[in-house]
Amino acid sequence: ASPLWLDMAALIRGLRAGRALRGLGGVAVQGTRSTQCSNVRRGFHRAALLRLASDSKSDTSVPPPSYHEVHTAGESSSSSAQGESSEDAQPNTSFQDQSGEHSEDYETEEQLQVRILTAALEFVPQHGWNMEAITAGAETLGLSSASTGMFNNGAGDLVLHFVAQCNAQLTETLAEQNNQVQLGQAESKKTGEFLKDAVEMRLRMLVPYIDTWPQAMSILLLPHNIPDSLKHLSTMVDDIWYYAGDRSTDVNWYTRRAALTGIYNTTELVMVQDSSPDFEETWAFLDNRIKDVVNMANTAKQVQATGEAVVQGLMGAAITKEIY
Amino acid sequence: MHRFVRPQLLLRDSKQPLLPTAGQLCTNHKSVVSCIRGYVVLPPTNDEEEKAMLHRMMRVDHAGEYGANRIYAGQMAVLGHTQISPLIQEMWDQEKQHLRKFNEILAENRVRPTLLLPLWNIAGFALGAGSALLGKEGAMACTVAVEESISEHYNSQIRTLMEKDPEKYTELLQLIKEFRDDEMEHHDTGLEHDAESVPGYQLMKAIIQAGCKAAICVSERL
Repeated sequence: ASPLWLDMAALIRGLRAGRALRGLGGVAVQGTRSTQCSNVRRGFHRAALLRLASDSKSDTSVPPPSYHEVHTAGESSSSSAQGESSEDAQPNTSFQDQSGEHSEDYETEEQLQVRILTAALEFVPQHGWNMEAITAGAETLGLSSASTGMFNNGAGDLVLHFVAQCNAQLTETLAEQNNQVQLGQAESKKTGEFLKDAVEMRLRMLVPYIDTWPQAMSILLLPHNIPDSLKHLSTMVDDIWYYAGDRSTDVNWYTRRAALTGIYNTTELVMVQDSSPDFEETWAFLDNRIKDVVNMANTAKQVQATGEAVVQGLMGAAITKEIY
Repeated sequence: MHRFVRPQLLLRDSKQPLLPTAGQLCTNHKSVVSCIRGYVVLPPTNDEEEKAMLHRMMRVDHAGEYGANRIYAGQMAVLGHTQISPLIQEMWDQEKQHLRKFNEILAENRVRPTLLLPLWNIAGFALGAGSALLGKEGAMACTVAVEESISEHYNSQIRTLMEKDPEKYTELLQLIKEFRDDEMEHHDTGLEHDAESVPGYQLMKAIIQAGCKAAICVSERL
């Protein structure tokens, strides 16, 4: 082994010892760019101080041990001026100051992952939903390709990130629309129309990636991704119904969400096979499905009203019999 | 119960003040919307665990009030034309009020109702009607058993909240205490009206209370 790798081994042992001292719990791991060991150790010290200072209990994922070692190894071995200059160009995440605990300059590992994945999205049409796109994204941020080692679930991470991003955008837009309606600046829509518009808005976010979307859908169906993808789907459907005005507290809560989930999934499937201009056939399909659901809901209401009347009648007869 | 509300209707409901409160204009769907009232019952929180705990509590309380409603409905269906009916009606009306309150809380805080509501619908009505078929004493005995279970359940919730942080949960504690006091009142009313004179009172009470405990346990999770 070369002396460089021996140094790296020592560094790795030091990092692991530092992590052990930090213990479990709230993570504020810094994306260290410095090539000097002392800066890395100072980073851990600051991380520990940051954690003491903050009272956040939310647990972000524990950083995979590979990240630091791989990254610092990558940084150390690459002596190109490019690495240095891009580091200078991003003051937010560099460890330039030596003075102490400037927490605003820190970027958590989660934030870094988000930045890399967002950058990776532009390479998806080209490479597909896989590590190549993530690598390309990391490189545009000036990170070494080895930094992708922190994504254990590569393609899954990328797709889930994209889904979360789309859902967040949808929720924001719906909240904004709701705000306008409450302020009287906009007319409220009928339920069917609202649902149609919300689903269409959300599905249109897939348009730039529509060619590779079947691959993404299959990734989301992988067993280890299913819990997360189901959570995203159920939260999205809950949000759409909430802003549509649903405040039900009975079994309708479930039937409505199940219906909308069905509509969304089937429309998504139609969309990936749709070749009509601007996906006209998809929106027509969506329109018909929504009409079906609205009709079914109205019919159910009528059936329930009739049923209630019948029950009342029977009870009346029974009580009359009971008393006499 | 069917509640389908357009957000703007909250502004125009004649019972509510005309000026929108800050809560109504709150666009962050994750925060608690106080809607019409000037206060919130569930304190807003960002902690997932705490939110889950509060949601679970509200879910089971909602299920409990819903079940109690159906029990009284069953009792009224059988004893609706007897002397005891105004008393049962009064207790039923109070339960309806409780249920309305929990419906509000669930809707505002986007709490998922329990999946077993249809089951509690049928089971509650059957219990109420069945106990009423044993006569007025049977109905009262059922009331005593159920209200005792519910009061015990509310008491344990109060204990949990007091242990955690009485300051933070002031409004919620106030609400639960008020409801618990109402339920205790029903329990005492039942005792006053010869609940204990029904044959097999102890057995009936034990069975009903065991059923209530199981229902509470299941509704918290499902």
